[in-house]
Amino acid sequence: MTGTGMGSTVVRLDEVSKIFGSNGNRTAAVRDISLEASSGELVLLLGPSGSGKTTLLTLIAGLVEPTSGAVSLFGRNIEDYTPKELQRLRAMRIGFVFQTFHLIDSLNVTENVVLVLRFAGKTRTEAKRHAKDLLGQFHIEHLFRKFPANLSQGEKQRVAVARAIANGAELIIADEPTASLETKQGFDIIRLLHEYAKERNRCVIVASHDLRIVEFADRVLRLEDGVITKTQSRTFNAFPAHLSIQEDISVLSSGKSPDTVI
Amino acid sequence: MCIVLMLFLLSVYRGVADGSVEYIRQNKTDLWILQRNATNILRGSSVLFASHGKQIQKIPRVQSVSPVLLLLSAVKKGDQAATVFLTGYDPTSRFGGPPELAEGRSVKTDQEIVLDQAFAKKYHFKVGDWAQIQGDTLRIVGISKRTNAFVTQYAFVTLHCAQSLIGFPGIVTCYLVKVKEGEDRQIVSRQIQKKVSGVEVYDHQTFLQNNIREMQSGFLPFIYTVAAIGVIVLTAILSLLLSINILERRKDFAVMKTIGSTNGFLSKLIIQQALLISSAGFGVALVLFFPLVALIEKISPEVSSQSSPEQIFVVLLGLGGMSLISSFVSMQRLRRIYTLEVFS
Repeated sequence: MTGTGMGSTVVRLDEVSKIFGSNGNRTAAVRDISLEASSGELVLLLGPSGSGKTTLLTLIAGLVEPTSGAVSLFGRNIEDYTPKELQRLRAMRIGFVFQTFHLIDSLNVTENVVLVLRFAGKTRTEAKRHAKDLLGQFHIEHLFRKFPANLSQGEKQRVAVARAIANGAELIIADEPTASLETKQGFDIIRLLHEYAKERNRCVIVASHDLRIVEFADRVLRLEDGVITKTQSRTFNAFPAHLSIQEDISVLSSGKSPDTVI
Repeated sequence: MCIVLMLFLLSVYRGVADGSVEYIRQNKTDLWILQRNATNILRGSSVLFASHGKQIQKIPRVQSVSPVLLLLSAVKKGDQAATVFLTGYDPTSRFGGPPELAEGRSVKTDQEIVLDQAFAKKYHFKVGDWAQIQGDTLRIVGISKRTNAFVTQYAFVTLHCAQSLIGFPGIVTCYLVKVKEGEDRQIVSRQIQKKVSGVEVYDHQTFLQNNIREMQSGFLPFIYTVAAIGVIVLTAILSLLLSINILERRKDFAVMKTIGSTNGFLSKLIIQQALLISSAGFGVALVLFFPLVALIEKISPEVSSQSSPEQIFVVLLGLGGMSLISSFVSMQRLRRIYTLEVFS
């Protein structure tokens, strides 16, 4: 297993394109995208619906193969992984957070977390103990035995985040994690992901059209029509978050592509 | 209902298997003598004469010779007529009569008859009633047990009565021979075959097996066909239930695939569900089975069934097999569930 030290590259995409369909019905979901994401940083893929954010996430997770270009995960080209290795990778080193939570309805909160720990090879007893510890750290020990149907949206997403990081994932892929949440709940979730990136030195990639997340991101990659049109980095300009947000709002609401790259 | 059907078929098979040959099993004589080339009395014909009996009786090591005449005959009650396996035997002999009496007594005279319990129940005969057989009127003096051969039931009259009914005095189907105490049955068997022409000699066990085989060859194909249909229907229903369950929980399976589940884990889930459904079905079937059998036996007394823990275990085992087959069938649906389905 390749380790990911402070600032080491977790994900690298070199001129990656993904085209869906065949013959005359071909659509490029993403085109010539290059990016790097390292441990300890939270990268935000910002863009409107249909901009290619989700396709980019699935490429990063190794769930789809690129039509062209190279995707490298934990220092190894994704094509070099066998399907079994990719499955192990998703079980042990990658965590997923989804817009609609995707908790297993027939399992209670603890069992939902136990499930991923079992996928990673832990025994039932170990998994159960670990899940309870983790849920305790998230201050949701009172939800242990509750089923997803009995949780609020915010609680569901907290459980989903707990599930994503249960195995100490080195890469968290979050697809619109705040889209189904109210403002405060959304902030809580993104704060959790941010803390995870910083305190545990993990890489978190968030795809969202929620501009409120921007202030938590180390880098913001703005996507439109499958292309990165703009990159903002906290490192370079101390992140003028408020200005950026206003600018993004105006751009996204107008539907025009910004022409400046910071 | 398929599980109930399987349990029912097995218990009927057991009931028929036992009922058909119980008459032979309980007549624990040493040797059965039939016409040459006849192997059984259930689905074969054998005609012997009184002279054969006399010749056998002359063999020094033979203790007793009991003649039995078996013929299919119609018993009438009012407008109703039903066929019985009429068994004429010598009431003074130890062999050839009903294996067990539920009530009444055995026949003593030519005007008496003993009917099978299921037959009597179905046609509402009781001890003391009169039954008509081929123009003769016989008084029912007893009701026998373990004489229900499913398709037809045994009835017992004197040998003379049976011979009168058929119109051939002196004719018999077989002789039941008891050898003298301490004599070797093999030697007696060889002596009979040597001295009496045109006969076949079987020891009790061989003759019993012959009849069981005969019964099985006639009855088992039917049981197998119905059981096979039951298995196919049950497997199809199970596969359908599992497939519906997979489709209903499609999102869950897609999520599990995405977050790192192995195919083995998902397959195990499907198998567990199949076993759970089967177990629940088996439990319900077991609860329904016994009252249902009691009801069927009340409506059709000739349907005799026998249940045992072994039969229940066999059905349970079969159900396990069907669960596995249906799991493998429905697992194909898992391949068409994609990880991308969980992304917004």
